[in-house]
Amino acid sequence: MSAVETSTKFETKPRKLSRREFLVVGGAAGLTLGFAFEHGSRKAEAQMAGIAGPPANTQVNTWLNISSSGAITLTIGSSEMGQGSFSGLAQILSEDLMVNYNTIQTVQGVPATGAQQIGNSIGTYGSTVTWTNYWSLRQAGAAAREMLVQAAMNIIGDQNSANYTVSNGIITYTPTGTLISYGLVANAAALLPVPANPTLIPDSQFQFIGKTVNRVDIPAKVNGTAIYGLDIRLPNMVFAVIQHAPTFGSVLSGSVPATPPGMIAVVPTQVVAGTGRGTEQTGMVNAVAVVGPNTWDTWQAALNLKIDWTTPSNASSLNNANFVSEAQSALTTNTPYSSSGPNNPPTLYTVEGNLASANSAIASAAKQFSEQYNLPYVAHNQLEPLSCTVNYVPGVSCDVYVSTQVASSVLDLANQLTGLPLNQIRVHTTWLGGGLGRRIETDFVSQAIQVAMAVGKPVMLLWPRPQNFGRDQFRPVALVQVNAGLNSSGGIVGWACTNVSPSILAQRGYPVGASGDSQAYEGTSGLPYSRGSISTQWISHPSPIPVGFWRSVGMSVNTFAVESAIDELAALAGVDPYQYRLNMSTDPRWTGVLNAVANLCNYSSGPPSGQFFGMAVTMYANSYVAMVVALSLNSSNDYDGQPKLFTVNSVYIALDCYLAVNPGQIQTQLVGGMVHGFNAALYGRQSFVNGVPQYGNYPQNRVIRMDEMPQVFTTLIPNPEQSTFGTNLGGVGELGVPCIAPALANAYFRASGKRIRTLPFFPNAVMGGLNNPNI
Amino acid sequence: MANTYTLNVNGQNHNVTVNNPEMPLLWVIRDLIGLTGTKYGCAENTCGACTVLVNNVATRSCITEVESVVGDTIVTIEGLSPNSTHPAQLAWIKFQVPQCGYCQSGQIMSCAAQLLAGNHGANAAANMHNICICGTYPRILQAMDTL
Repeated sequence: MSAVETSTKFETKPRKLSRREFLVVGGAAGLTLGFAFEHGSRKAEAQMAGIAGPPANTQVNTWLNISSSGAITLTIGSSEMGQGSFSGLAQILSEDLMVNYNTIQTVQGVPATGAQQIGNSIGTYGSTVTWTNYWSLRQAGAAAREMLVQAAMNIIGDQNSANYTVSNGIITYTPTGTLISYGLVANAAALLPVPANPTLIPDSQFQFIGKTVNRVDIPAKVNGTAIYGLDIRLPNMVFAVIQHAPTFGSVLSGSVPATPPGMIAVVPTQVVAGTGRGTEQTGMVNAVAVVGPNTWDTWQAALNLKIDWTTPSNASSLNNANFVSEAQSALTTNTPYSSSGPNNPPTLYTVEGNLASANSAIASAAKQFSEQYNLPYVAHNQLEPLSCTVNYVPGVSCDVYVSTQVASSVLDLANQLTGLPLNQIRVHTTWLGGGLGRRIETDFVSQAIQVAMAVGKPVMLLWPRPQNFGRDQFRPVALVQVNAGLNSSGGIVGWACTNVSPSILAQRGYPVGASGDSQAYEGTSGLPYSRGSISTQWISHPSPIPVGFWRSVGMSVNTFAVESAIDELAALAGVDPYQYRLNMSTDPRWTGVLNAVANLCNYSSGPPSGQFFGMAVTMYANSYVAMVVALSLNSSNDYDGQPKLFTVNSVYIALDCYLAVNPGQIQTQLVGGMVHGFNAALYGRQSFVNGVPQYGNYPQNRVIRMDEMPQVFTTLIPNPEQSTFGTNLGGVGELGVPCIAPALANAYFRASGKRIRTLPFFPNAVMGGLNNPNI
Repeated sequence: MANTYTLNVNGQNHNVTVNNPEMPLLWVIRDLIGLTGTKYGCAENTCGACTVLVNNVATRSCITEVESVVGDTIVTIEGLSPNSTHPAQLAWIKFQVPQCGYCQSGQIMSCAAQLLAGNHGANAAANMHNICICGTYPRILQAMDTL
């Protein structure tokens, strides 16, 4: 395993293709252009994605086909989990291909190797799919259009391009008015060379880019025809239900339980190389799957199965209080990173600056500040429970049906487990009933393949809901210490920030370099705030509870700490928190989103009577986002008997993502991300008692319902850089998440004078049932 | 002890044989009848992804024993309308409600039940407790405002 470069958050630039990177396939199928999409911006994550490594960036994974019947198909390797990128990609393509957006059929690609005309997978994470492939798609559309027009010119016999116009997939030869459809010349176009510098449509003539158009996946999502992972039905299939050991780190003790009456098999499953994290190490039998004729009977049999587990000796240390005390201890007792290793946690990594000089500046400042922010483990909480369906024919084929964010990882895993060559394995990516980062993992896929190989029938493996909450790969527990010093006018002259949290990468066996695991500390480094002498550190936390990539990863952890601390410093300085941020900003885009959100909420006039504002700002995936919360205080308890400290009236969000391909879709993503962060800030936590996760279903994992949903207002900042070929764009999918927790804490402080530094706000909350939600 | 029941789902009678009469309607619909538009989310009457109509009332199929709905009229998302023409479905498309979409069968069936009960607009929305992790609530409200 090679070292992973981790300090690469904004490395990905939208990619321009050379014509040699297009693969042209001709023949009766019409014109087919294959090209390569980028992987996520998180290089570290991309390197994690495939056990054998992800496909190279130059590997064809996206296909545009114009058939001789005129049908236009875009085959996409990335996954659709509700973020709308299938629609956004088709929208971009339609512009330079000069066809109506609605005529493009988007098709989920099946990853495979070799020269087959099917897409290869790319990872779907890191808020990347649309923006990093924008220019590739525009070039592909323009190249295909020019090839089609050239083919028409050859047929007409007039090479004067001024005599041709294109509209809605129809080429018009203007001297005679002859109409030539794309389909008519598609086969001929496939024999032509790919143009080196196809002409892109000028921004001023855009018909689709920048417009809110309807999404392609919505019709199937209102009538039950959308197929998610759990909806796969195959002839003769059987149903398996997983039952993990109740304690993290436990393994099956003794023999496999006998198959219960009416069931087909009980299959022990082990942790497969590449899928284990923390307590769950390769080769451990940490679960059994009961196989039966339908989900319900099998689930009941699994619940009633008597299974003996061997509990690990460290189970008693896997407790919440211990995680917090380990973090506190790590702050003062740690070993600095050494290039010669072993760098076992707790290891101290210096990310930026110098602690001694920061401490010196703080010590000699007029005012000192020192606070800690604590965040718990949080499960992903995708609404569709994990499942994977496998049809394995020994020596012949393996078909895997799964809602996954990284189909190429599934392909590699099936190859590893079955030994079948890659071209005998097909991975069918379904719609995802939420991804949120959980479906980057393949633990459940590896179990399904093991079960299929054991029972010799097509099998769907289900993780019942409590297994999803309990056996998640959680957002890491974290302690963030912020020390700062202010001068007499309130300006920051020294800043020392240290994050203590487990490393997602290190837990997977990847060595972490001198600058640490950027996904642990992202959001604390590179801040465009003038703060005098700074120090940014990360200390690896030793907890072995499995951790993973939770929508926006470290950003949601660290933005809570940093933007809460900035707010506290503003209060200490006696300066309005919006003005305080402006005063320190060193980045016009940072300032821009702050001003935009202030305008949106009419900050200068203040909130409506009885309401209080709280603000936060951050940047991520090449985009900048600022948020303001307006909340009002409550005096009564909530229906669950817990204090209901406040009602959130409104949330205001301003985003600068350079070009907004589909503004309406971007706004829904911002709202959705905000809600995900909102749920976590108010209620999200998993707790452990002697290694046993405590919260298994929604009553104990409360989320907001319609009645708790604030009004949300969004604004997108137009940015003129879009018109220059190859310039940057920004991501959207995770941008709504990080700011909501600090904005809530900051608004609550303004309302009450009380500062919340430990999440969630309501750790004891429960949720009522549907028919009587007010329990 | 296997039991065979006749269920009326989407206007058709289905004979289903279950090993356990407590099997929830959700799994009968999904695994035995093969209609997968009705979703499993929590199986504890909390999330609402499994909502169907039983005699025109929103019913959480995850906690409804199959035996209890014999003789009743059951409608799932697949049977709500031919060609997605129910007013709720049209409004859901018009306002582009779904994101991941996994909760939306249940949301639409809950909305349909509200309309059948004579509740419209804000009154209907106040009775909607289905959860949505994607945060589509504002657009659900917009859609229901027109119904």
